[in-house]
Amino acid sequence: MAAVYKTIAKVTGSKEDKDKEDRSNIIAERKNKQRVLVLSSRGVTYRHRHLLNDLASMLPHGRKDAKFDTKSRLYELCELAELYNCNNVLFFEARKGKDLYMWFSKVPNGPTVKFYAQNLHTMEELHFQGNCLKGSRPILSFDAAFEQEPYLKVIKELFLHTFGVPQGHKKSKPFIDHVLSFSVADGKIWVRNYEIREVEKVKGEADKREEGETEKPKAAKPGSKDTDINLIEIGPRFVLTPIIIQEGSFGGPILYENKRFISPNKIRAELRKAKAARHHARMEQQRDLLARKRQLGLDESTPKKKDDLDTRELFA
Amino acid sequence: MAKKGATQSPKAGSKPNSQTGDAQSKNQKADRRKSNEPVVEKVAEKEEQREEETEESEEDESEDEQLQIRANGNNESDSEEDSDENSEDEDESDDDSGDEHPTHHIDFEAIDDSDSESELDSDEENDKKQDSNKAQNGMSEDKMDVDKDGEDKSGDEEDEEEEIDVEELEPEDEEDEEQIAAGTRTRQTINNKEGLLTALRRIQLDINPKTTPFSFHQSVVASKRTEDSIPQIEDDLQRELAFMNQALEAARLGRSLLRKEGVPFTRPTDYFAEMVRTDATMEKVKQKLIEEATAKKAAAEARKQRDLKKFGKAVQVQKQLERAKQKREALDKINQLKRKRAEGGSAALGATEADDPFDVAVDNELSRDSKPKKRRADGDHPVPNPKRQKKNAKYGFGGKKRGSKSGDAISSGDLSGFSVKRMKYGGGAGGGKKKANRPGKARRKAAAAKR
Repeated sequence: MAAVYKTIAKVTGSKEDKDKEDRSNIIAERKNKQRVLVLSSRGVTYRHRHLLNDLASMLPHGRKDAKFDTKSRLYELCELAELYNCNNVLFFEARKGKDLYMWFSKVPNGPTVKFYAQNLHTMEELHFQGNCLKGSRPILSFDAAFEQEPYLKVIKELFLHTFGVPQGHKKSKPFIDHVLSFSVADGKIWVRNYEIREVEKVKGEADKREEGETEKPKAAKPGSKDTDINLIEIGPRFVLTPIIIQEGSFGGPILYENKRFISPNKIRAELRKAKAARHHARMEQQRDLLARKRQLGLDESTPKKKDDLDTRELFA
Repeated sequence: MAKKGATQSPKAGSKPNSQTGDAQSKNQKADRRKSNEPVVEKVAEKEEQREEETEESEEDESEDEQLQIRANGNNESDSEEDSDENSEDEDESDDDSGDEHPTHHIDFEAIDDSDSESELDSDEENDKKQDSNKAQNGMSEDKMDVDKDGEDKSGDEEDEEEEIDVEELEPEDEEDEEQIAAGTRTRQTINNKEGLLTALRRIQLDINPKTTPFSFHQSVVASKRTEDSIPQIEDDLQRELAFMNQALEAARLGRSLLRKEGVPFTRPTDYFAEMVRTDATMEKVKQKLIEEATAKKAAAEARKQRDLKKFGKAVQVQKQLERAKQKREALDKINQLKRKRAEGGSAALGATEADDPFDVAVDNELSRDSKPKKRRADGDHPVPNPKRQKKNAKYGFGGKKRGSKSGDAISSGDLSGFSVKRMKYGGGAGGGKKKANRPGKARRKAAAAKR
């Protein structure tokens, strides 16, 4: 089917004006060659693994590899990526069997961004109704905040390289039917994936949309003119907290460090400490009580002082 | 980790230098950039100023001493870089601070200071004041580099900044000096904007809308910040709505741009291909939806039933109350009556009791009371149908029923309904009717057998 479509598209394409051909020539010149090495460290949970699979299924230009053995010598990932001809690395680093860190890196010479991933929900466990073609090119929707800070600019660029499917990739599908959205809120980056579903336009909305769509060329299919866009979520969902940005790939000087990020280890330790404090307070109280009792001679362990007025003494 | 923290000066520690080979090429790049892009350069300068400000309070008195430290720090970091930089993980900063606690006394005030100062991004005024100083420094910084540190030519931007600091700053705080001498490393926010922009420029795709078709990158930047439209981040519904709106805007814009470029957008209905989520998953989702719908329906039904039951009970209670009320009223009436009679006939008490041993009067009274009700009830059923009327006339409605159908002397003597004609000729109006053709028994049997 795809082949048939391609041939038809080619025929129609040749009929169109030269201007378009020029444009395609430009595209041919400016090749956006991206390949992403997608892999995880050892010790990922099933949820991390499923998320990885979900992301890999959305990246036709991705190369999934086996679990990476080490967590300390991450620079070896560069060699691995070069081996597979990849210029991007998306690495899932799992710690303690619960925390997930996601590394986005451009391979030969950086930069690298490290995120802490939270609120992971895979496609399967979210019972959303959306669906899209495997390997169709997404529209990447970035929050306006991504243009306001240099570090967010870098992150945006990395997302663009990693999640944007290059034009004309051989495994990509010719239609666009989903949006990947990245929003910044609360110092975190929230990632969502929506299906674009075209529905009959509602009457009230018709005139409102009109301005935007009047410029549409005649080339657009006649039937599609009066449709509106509806978004249905597909999944997965996750939230990324940027931690550091390094200049090199998996190394080099740190260009950005997020002060607001607190390591989950620290948070857990804090919680444990709070709990321990409660216990300590209770133990302290108990010790005080015992000491007081001992002082008053009420303790069982200390022998009672003999009182002259004790009944046993009096009536012995 | 601890060693690193101990040996490096704060700057060097927070921004480890890259290997010299790399760095030199970067330096060249930076120079090239200077000539090309004045705007960015300005940004860089501002950045440096800020950095200096943060430094100023922390730098120590004697230049020489500091230089020494710095040189050491750089050397250390250079050698350490290879081994350390790659093993960096999120624990690093924690580890460092953790290690430092027992060995060195941490100056918390200093930490606070550094934190607040690191956010100087917004303090534009101060920057302006120092602008004049800056210009001079900018000119001389590279020379200084060459003069002072022969081997330490890791001409990064950060390094340059540091060098300026060293040359420029007058020592101020003794505390800070001690701190540096002790080798404590205060944690700073790192936000090297210039470095970030450099890195960005290195990898940036050209997505200029004038030169690049949209279909090349398919990325849309929203017109407004999504965060502004989220009143409360904890509110799931509002948050998701804001995200959805952002995506919707992008989808609409993307569609119009792609159509303008003649890129196929909508998937034709007869185009089938592998989907991201398999049919099995979608089936499951559908099942789940159906299940949810049925559950909802069942719940609604159950609630309705429960309400009905509750209502029915209310009706029952109402009825019981009514009955109790009726009974009470009746009893009241009887008592009242009794009292009245007792008062009225108190003189002939014995006589009345003898006359009316079964409280007939009370019954009468009660029935009289109830009669209007009955009448009203009669009024409810106005005129019965003619058949009923006939029957009523024939069998009576109320009154004596016993023996009403049996004949007596008068009825036997009444011959008004007798007709000779009918009797004799067996015809008349009634006779013809009687001749219904019911065959005799034998004939009927024969017919049944035949059948």
